[in-house]
Amino acid sequence: MKRRWIACVLAGAMTLGLFGCGSSAVNGTGTESSGSVVTGTGTSSGTDSSVVASDEDLNVMMETPVESLDPQQATDGTSFEVIADYTDGLMQMDENGEPVKALAESYDVSDDGLTYTFKIRDDANWSNGDPVTAQDFVFAWQRAVDPSVASEYAYMLSDIGQVKNAADIIAGTKDKSELGVTAVDDKTMKVELNVPVPYFLSLMYFPTFYPVNEKFFESCKDTFGTSPETTLSDGAFILDDYEPAATSFHLKKNPDYYDAGRIKLAGIQYQVIQDSQQALMSYQNGELDTTMVNGDQVDSVKDDPEFKAVGAGYLWYLSPNISAVPELANQNIRLAMTMAIDRDSIVNDVLKDGSEATYTAVPLDFATGPDGKYFSEDQTKFKDVCSYDADKAAEYWKKGLEELGESSMTINMLVDADDAPQKVAQVLQEQLQNALPGLTINITVEPKKQRVQDMQDGNFQLGLTRWGPDYDDPMTYLGMWVTNNSNNYGLWSDKDYDAIIDKCTTGDLVSDTQGRWDAMYDAEKIVMDQAVIFPLYTQCNAMMVKSNVKGIEYHPVALNRVYKDCVKGAS
Amino acid sequence: MKKYILKRVVTAVFTLLVIILILFILMKLMPGSPFNDEKLNNDQRAALYAKYGLDQPVIIQFLRYVGNLLHGDFGVSYNISKNTPISQLIATRLPISVSIGFAAVAFGALIGLLLGLLAAFKHDTIWDTIATIISVIGVSVPSYVFALALSYTFGYHWKIFPMLFSRAQLVKSSVLPSISLSMFTMANIARFTRSEMLEVLDSDYMLLAESKGISGPALIFRHALRNALIPIITVLAPLIVDLMTGSLVVEKIFAIPGVGSLLVNAIQSNDYNVVIALSFIYSAMYIGIMLLVDILYGIIDPRIRLGKSDGEGGGRKKLRLARKGAGA
Amino acid sequence: MSNANAVLTAQAAAYIPKDEDFRLKNSGEELGRDTNFAGQAYWKEVIVRFFRKKSAAVGLILILLITLLAVVGPMISGYTYSAQNLSQKNLAPRIPVIENTGVFDGSETISTTTGSKKTNGYFDKKLTNVYYWFGSDNYGRDIFTRTWMGTRVSLIIAVAAAVIDMVIGMSYGLISGYFGGRVDMVMQRILEVCNGIPRLVIVTLLLLVLKPGMVTIIFALMLTEWIGMSRIARAEMLKLKEQEFVLASRTLGAGNFFIIFKEILPNIIGPIITQVMFSIPTAIFTEAFLSFVGLGIPVPQCSLGSLISEGYNSFTTHPYQIVAPIIVMALLMLSFNLVGDGLREALDPKLKEM
Repeated sequence: MKRRWIACVLAGAMTLGLFGCGSSAVNGTGTESSGSVVTGTGTSSGTDSSVVASDEDLNVMMETPVESLDPQQATDGTSFEVIADYTDGLMQMDENGEPVKALAESYDVSDDGLTYTFKIRDDANWSNGDPVTAQDFVFAWQRAVDPSVASEYAYMLSDIGQVKNAADIIAGTKDKSELGVTAVDDKTMKVELNVPVPYFLSLMYFPTFYPVNEKFFESCKDTFGTSPETTLSDGAFILDDYEPAATSFHLKKNPDYYDAGRIKLAGIQYQVIQDSQQALMSYQNGELDTTMVNGDQVDSVKDDPEFKAVGAGYLWYLSPNISAVPELANQNIRLAMTMAIDRDSIVNDVLKDGSEATYTAVPLDFATGPDGKYFSEDQTKFKDVCSYDADKAAEYWKKGLEELGESSMTINMLVDADDAPQKVAQVLQEQLQNALPGLTINITVEPKKQRVQDMQDGNFQLGLTRWGPDYDDPMTYLGMWVTNNSNNYGLWSDKDYDAIIDKCTTGDLVSDTQGRWDAMYDAEKIVMDQAVIFPLYTQCNAMMVKSNVKGIEYHPVALNRVYKDCVKGAS
Repeated sequence: MKKYILKRVVTAVFTLLVIILILFILMKLMPGSPFNDEKLNNDQRAALYAKYGLDQPVIIQFLRYVGNLLHGDFGVSYNISKNTPISQLIATRLPISVSIGFAAVAFGALIGLLLGLLAAFKHDTIWDTIATIISVIGVSVPSYVFALALSYTFGYHWKIFPMLFSRAQLVKSSVLPSISLSMFTMANIARFTRSEMLEVLDSDYMLLAESKGISGPALIFRHALRNALIPIITVLAPLIVDLMTGSLVVEKIFAIPGVGSLLVNAIQSNDYNVVIALSFIYSAMYIGIMLLVDILYGIIDPRIRLGKSDGEGGGRKKLRLARKGAGA
Repeated sequence: MSNANAVLTAQAAAYIPKDEDFRLKNSGEELGRDTNFAGQAYWKEVIVRFFRKKSAAVGLILILLITLLAVVGPMISGYTYSAQNLSQKNLAPRIPVIENTGVFDGSETISTTTGSKKTNGYFDKKLTNVYYWFGSDNYGRDIFTRTWMGTRVSLIIAVAAAVIDMVIGMSYGLISGYFGGRVDMVMQRILEVCNGIPRLVIVTLLLLVLKPGMVTIIFALMLTEWIGMSRIARAEMLKLKEQEFVLASRTLGAGNFFIIFKEILPNIIGPIITQVMFSIPTAIFTEAFLSFVGLGIPVPQCSLGSLISEGYNSFTTHPYQIVAPIIVMALLMLSFNLVGDGLREALDPKLKEM
């Protein structure tokens, strides 16, 4: 029966061999750098690149399938990106994320900041030949607030955009025709607001505000946005191969685009790949021009010139349930926890995707202020209440325990069942337990939908969550912690804070840019001093982009990737 | 015979109804809803509930669902592909999953059967050992590891097959996923064939057949294999349907637009309608296959239909009687 | 007519009936005794036959060894399974003494997109007295400790699943197959309903409704895994129940459950053991699958499956992180298969006849 022995050995050897070939194989593909390439900057002139454009498609990897191509129904970044590929709004983003004119030929703002008048370009046409009219916008915006459509982003028009009557229409007390947007003539539209909204123009590149051709929509009805035949383009590309939830789909250049000369790509081929390993190998094989890389694979690409980290906008933070957990209602305990977290270690040792440690309630590289700097440029301003300092943490911890009259506690931490949150949670558990004697952290892993439900129901102790900005203003974050906001998971409440936020959104500071900015710093300070949240990091995505591809713009807000100025050279 | 089939169909429909009801109840027990998103507040969620009729009592929802189902309407997806009719999603995706699954089963069963026969006939030789090793590896390593190893070696390193599924290269790009999927089936079939064949080869009737002078293919296929097939089919049948759920991970890795990856996404995002629809289809397939297996039993093993010997009506009639006989 | 009567009378005269002749012959002991063979200690025989087969013995030793390591392994390396040391993350395997031969010396070849490079994290970080036998993971945890900890969890899940499988599934299948008819019809419909719901849906729903953890996973497997076993048992029952020895037993007045569990069960133990041996990888695989979609053993605990999916993404960069759990998993499967084979041949009454 010696054969059985051989069987054992062989089986083991084959298993080893299977993976041995993985470790020993070396593949040095994809580093040929074309020396003459000049980085194409993303201005709208589109003639500044020395890269010779090839006739090929740009092959783009996506993590998740498109959820909806209906601009008023879509909510996720993937859908927004694709909608924006073939649809233009009134405004678009420049490479710095500032709003610049797109379909709007010109716009006027009344002196009180309450009325915007947009003039639509004469040469803006839908791909079926119809001109883009003011009525298209009115129709789309009315859909966005129509209770029967139940658009999830309706609040972009009401709470955030402050468009007149939007809130009442959503609540069902007024008819959608009373929305504060009117077509003066075919090419002129007027928008009325309740209060001046300083960032209103930057909302115009958000897909919820994109136009929809009413006649075309009525001809497709329920099938709108489910196939190339039921989508209409007024943008840079035309969708020519798509089915719902497709894992690969294609857009081709729109020859009738009013700015067609700017577009250098022949088309975009999207490929949804949920497995990052497979995506990276496909990229290295040349099947993809750009892909996202998981932190685990960064070790193998970090020296590659094609590797880069781009901001994703999300702020990840821990939310303590202040109202329901007596231990976490103690401010010293909360301060001890936030001071015990080594954020640099989390981003550098574990995530490794370029995410940046964050010590403010508003994420990094986001929202430019009157001084021309990002809101959270200064990361040390709260170093007394939010930094990594084990001694101070221990001090707060001792004080907190004394106040509570306890010597130990067990806290449950709720996290998503996704890759990154689980990684972060394991490190947090270790860091908190090591720094704070007597603390036990239990991790509960749940699918995201359930985690959100539990946090919204207040059914948690410590929750790891994230928030992506909806518009380019710190208020998209600071607005969360006002009393009774549905995202104020810890049910924290502070009158002074509510008053400041109120002043900045609907009160007398709305038109005082500098005053508003300062007031928001004050508000942020309250949140940080009381450790209402423990900010952790601003998410970045590790990307690979082939050296012959230039000019993809990355934005943390609304449209994560824009290809209008992208050039793919001959490889 | 018609009566028997009718009876089976009625039972099957009833079974499916029970399954839908159970799924409905399970879905309602599930914490979270399709509309749990950070960006949604309670008012908006209520509006969405009202829009899709989810605010109605479960029994009303159930009756309405069954009513729509009779018209072939599975409803719409709530969030993984918003407002898309599920029938449309399934129509484009099911054929892909089925064809890859079928290729995997066909390949796995064929190779598995051959390996099993080889191992049994060359019992205790090097062939037996090799076949055993292959089947052991097949059940020892998860399919996603196979997928990874195959796409690394054949896709990335040698570039023989594409790593990602594409409609342009339908056959070529289906090879790696099919093989990754078939490993488990193949190993199971090989093992089972071997053990069953060994048993059959040792039996008296094989001795009898041999002594009657039957040999070669006739002996193997008409006498040995036929008797070994019953348990093999029993194992194979659930494996076929399991491939659908088993392919979840493999579909994800190779970016295949099939129903498996759809189901995973739907479960993770609480898209009730999609989960119920896919579960329903899975159940229908399963029940269909089990019916088929029962019929195959009768054809392969005459002893099962050995109830009464009134001779009239042919094989199908006998099958019906076999059921009665089995109860006696 | 009268002639026949005369014969009967003659016979009656020759034999005087006793009381016992009219007593029901139904005592289990009496029926169970096989008088054709001399009394043998059945299980002793089985054990002897089992160990006569070397491969089976090897498999058993491997299982015992792996079980032993699963028990003591997490304690002998000096690390705990959850303690992190981020300054010592992603170190390749390094074993004392063997390191001098050039293998397992802590060096690894990292293939990057810009070419491959050989590094040794231990030298780079001046860790002269630090040894991770199987390497360290992304958090600087000892993979050796975690592998055996994971083995422990996987073994518990597998064994629990297999035992439950056997008891529930086998009884269900045997009863269903034996009684046939209406009983069979009802039981098979119930089974179809149970099995008609995709396993993944049940398991996922259970894990969502209940607190995720080992007990939930075992419970979920319990509700789904018995079905395959019951099918095998039923199929075997259908094959055997029309055979003569069952008829003989019934003629002798044996009860239904006696026939099922004493007469038929020993005859079908082969396929059932084989099926048990397959339900073990199925259980481990299901757990591994759940880990892969993020619903397995909650972090920082681990199972072989969760270790494989953890190492999965590092496959191209640090392959040693996935190799150890895969080898242990493969060995575990191999040995369960070998033992299954051995047991089957040792238990099979038909093989004994020859």
